[in-house]
Amino acid sequence: MSAADNKKLIEELYAAIAVGNRTRFVETLADDVVMRVTGHYSWSRTFKGKDALLRDLYGYLSTLVADGRRTIPFNIVAGGDHVVVESVGEMQTRAGVPYNNDYCLIYRLKDGRIVEIREYCDSVLTEKILGPYRGPAAA
Amino acid sequence: MSATANKKLVQQIYEDSANRRGTTFYDNLADDACWIVTGENLWSRRFKGRDAIMNNLMGHFRSLFPERPRTVAFNFIAEGDFVAVEARGDNVTKSGQRYDNQYCMIFRIENGRIKEVKEYCDSALVERVLGPFPADRIPQTQP
Repeated sequence: MSAADNKKLIEELYAAIAVGNRTRFVETLADDVVMRVTGHYSWSRTFKGKDALLRDLYGYLSTLVADGRRTIPFNIVAGGDHVVVESVGEMQTRAGVPYNNDYCLIYRLKDGRIVEIREYCDSVLTEKILGPYRGPAAA
Repeated sequence: MSATANKKLVQQIYEDSANRRGTTFYDNLADDACWIVTGENLWSRRFKGRDAIMNNLMGHFRSLFPERPRTVAFNFIAEGDFVAVEARGDNVTKSGQRYDNQYCMIFRIENGRIKEVKEYCDSALVERVLGPFPADRIPQTQP
């Protein structure tokens, strides 16, 4: 697929997420997707495979934040196999504390599937609001 | 300029950085450029204008290292006026601590001039190793 196709796909996934539909995003993850939360803080780790990513990162996040979390993109840059998304999170913890992080996500696509993700965000805010990572992959 | 030319410019900036020399960034920075440290941490701020970027932000950052710090880029993605760069720092502070942050930088370039830079990195590492951004380096002219 071309960079323009990849961009269109990612735009569609975010549009679906914005209205609470995460299914398309999940369907687009390759079985062997690898996601890296970059940096050297407690959440920085590599989630290998779709099952591990959904369970150990997104599943864990769901236990911390209220239902209806959204991430709103405002700039998407595509080139080659990569799509870069700048976005702002609109979330609340289950205790009602706002959690609106600034994100830059790098997606690598292959044949219409997401095979690699790298996340950059404000780790001070992550640890302050969500606490250190204590998900299943912490063990 | 085309996305290809923009990408080439940003690649040269990072080649300078990796080799600790060169002035490509400074030479191509618009007078009214803005550098945005994203997030809500102690360094998060808009540095507006060339002086604020070079003297306040870069000036303070570089003062923490015994030699010009280097950042090594490994991925460039360009489209339209934007170039995204993923990079890793490779540095030791004056106090001897490793400072190897991981960055995603978004450059916006208009007619060959860098108009905006947005920085995303591990702010917990920034605060832990570099400390807070000092009050006396906060640009005074900003609202």
